[in-house]
Amino acid sequence: MAKIETVDANLYYGDFHALKNISMKMEENTVTALIGPSGCGKSTYLRLFNRMNDLIDSTQISGQILVDSEDIYSKNINVDELRMKVGMVFQKPNPFPKSIFENVAYGLRVNGEKNKTYITDKVYESLRQAALWDEVSDKMNKSAFELSGGQQQRLCIARALAISPSVILMDEPASALDPISTAKIEELIHELKKQYTIVIVTHNMQQASRVSDFTGFFYLGELVEHGATAKIFTQPNNKQTENYITGRFG
Amino acid sequence: MTHLDNEFIKLRMQLFEMWSLVISQVEMSREALLNFDKGAASEITFKEKMVDSYELKVDRDCENLIALNTPVATDLRFVLAVLKINTDLERIGDFARGIARFIKKCPKDNLNPELLKVCQIDELMKNAIEMLTDAKKALEYENSRMAISIFSHDDFLDDVHKHSNKIIAEYIKSHPDEIEEALNLYSIIRKIERIGDHCNNIAEEIVFYLEAKVLKHSNKKKV
Amino acid sequence: MTLERRKELERSKKRSEKIAFGTFRAMSLLVVGILFVILGFIIIKGISVISWDFITKMPEDGMTKGGIYPAIIGTFCLIGGSMIFSFPIGVLSGIYINEYASNGLVVRFIRLMTNNLAGIPSIVFGLFGMSLFVNTLGFGDSIIAGSLTLGLMTLPIVIRTTEEALKSVDNSFRQGSYALGATKLQTIRRVTLPIAYPNIITGLILSIGRVSGETAPILFTVAAYFLPKLPHSIFDQVMALPYHLYVLATSGTNIEESRPMAYGTALVLIMIVLFLNLIANALRKYFSKKVKMN
Repeated sequence: MAKIETVDANLYYGDFHALKNISMKMEENTVTALIGPSGCGKSTYLRLFNRMNDLIDSTQISGQILVDSEDIYSKNINVDELRMKVGMVFQKPNPFPKSIFENVAYGLRVNGEKNKTYITDKVYESLRQAALWDEVSDKMNKSAFELSGGQQQRLCIARALAISPSVILMDEPASALDPISTAKIEELIHELKKQYTIVIVTHNMQQASRVSDFTGFFYLGELVEHGATAKIFTQPNNKQTENYITGRFG
Repeated sequence: MTHLDNEFIKLRMQLFEMWSLVISQVEMSREALLNFDKGAASEITFKEKMVDSYELKVDRDCENLIALNTPVATDLRFVLAVLKINTDLERIGDFARGIARFIKKCPKDNLNPELLKVCQIDELMKNAIEMLTDAKKALEYENSRMAISIFSHDDFLDDVHKHSNKIIAEYIKSHPDEIEEALNLYSIIRKIERIGDHCNNIAEEIVFYLEAKVLKHSNKKKV
Repeated sequence: MTLERRKELERSKKRSEKIAFGTFRAMSLLVVGILFVILGFIIIKGISVISWDFITKMPEDGMTKGGIYPAIIGTFCLIGGSMIFSFPIGVLSGIYINEYASNGLVVRFIRLMTNNLAGIPSIVFGLFGMSLFVNTLGFGDSIIAGSLTLGLMTLPIVIRTTEEALKSVDNSFRQGSYALGATKLQTIRRVTLPIAYPNIITGLILSIGRVSGETAPILFTVAAYFLPKLPHSIFDQVMALPYHLYVLATSGTNIEESRPMAYGTALVLIMIVLFLNLIANALRKYFSKKVKMN
């Protein structure tokens, strides 16, 4: 059973047809990379899964978008609950102007968790999972803004992990980071894969090939090709895919 | 045309230059054998040095291309194919030199034409040269059909090689004074057969590059 | 291009650069200069009458002697009163416009109206305040009528300030919060507002500065010509610094003798505004630090 599945997903921004009949399956505990030129719809597709597109006016969605075989756009779905199950990490590290501890605890607090020991345990655990614990264990009450960009991004990952999601969406998580921080994030993705299903949007083809098990190539709102990353990067079926990954696009 | 395309064109040109050298080596070794020409034999040895330096250069360029441009898909297959073809060509050059060495070291002034004839040396060499030239063309025109057709030539070489021990044995019985040459010729047949094998490998690499199909160790070598 | 030509071009580039920067610098120095001239003028003329008595005593002898104590108190009462009215309404509607309302016709209408409101001359506010609060609602000339009028006048500024402050909060913070399952209200309370606080507060205090200097809106609604006592309730009249200044300068019983008093009053008014701005700056620093260290 696929963890995430879309069947003929379409999305319109007003008159603009941003996603065209996307059907795709993502298995549990895999990393799927979405690649494609800017404006191809890969980020929009990613944001279907935690309904972030809802924040934009005049979007229309059709088709089935299933997480754990449940249509997440049906009426009886609670969006806040969905977002606890499907965490997200953004392109720019966006920690809240709070302490490191409070940043990670935020998700728990807004979702009504009051038990202090539970919160503390969960925060520490998440920081360890995000490979940040060693660097911040002695400055829990310092502002998150004092961390470096790479550390902030891992803090954002820890923040997402704290509410125990089963899916993590990453929207170009390393595009604003230096190579060493990028390598750390990529290493982390390999580690997190064991427990979570990860979908990552990236402009960096090498990153896609390094971290993902499956790759989907988007172009002009269509899913041109989807398959095992090793296959896509050695023998893509589609000429467009080949041109894109070999840098001969357009 | 991307920067990478230019790099590939340079690499391809180097490979073709090396390829032409090797072809001329093999052609000369045929001449040398048929005419027992010791001068041609020395030239083969000289060309071998050039081939070796080409081999090193192509290897280094492939290494740089991979390290600096991280090619993927067709680009990656091309570099990998070039890397392997490079090795094959160098080995073929080695065999040509081996033939030349035999002629240079041979104390006699000529070979018995009968020996050459029963061993089908001329046909063998022609076939080997044709395979090598066809393979080059196949890559030049990016034509995988042409590459696949090379496999059938190899059958002839294999066939002759398979029966050559008997033929040589017969010949030695009837010409006991030419034992040494006959045995040497046996090893030359073996060398030509190996040239054919390497051409086969090259053809496989070309198909891998063009069609992303691995023909190695499979029985799909029919058109 | 020859070396000579290149050097010449280089020189002419440098020259225009110098001229442009010189002009810009001269203009900004001019502005600062004018400010200092005004300040200096007021200080030189007014410093002589400033004393502890001037600030804490009632006016005497047809306002030629004594202090301006009731006017200071009156001004503070009006500031406080107008704040109580305008801040909650203004901040809440600012939040509504920026965070809740979808960017449609309604919001555009509200925005247009607040902009229009901001453009209305203050004397019109005064008249309106008089007719609504003083007469129709029967508050009479009183602190409440004056505060409401002033509050009404500052409302657009407060709304605008709040809106701008919220708008400058990067959307990625909101998205980050939503992505963790937070509701809109939670996001506003825990993330957006704390980030916007420094800017909101600065804007609010600057609007107070404006309130404290307005004369027209209080002219018909609260200000007393001469009232040497402190107010007891919000329905009492009070004196106010700007109006007192106006009176001293134009219609006192003895203008020549009360002139130093006028400059003194002006100085006190400027000091209050300056003081408020300093507080605004300090609070802004405090809050932005707190936001980071929280």
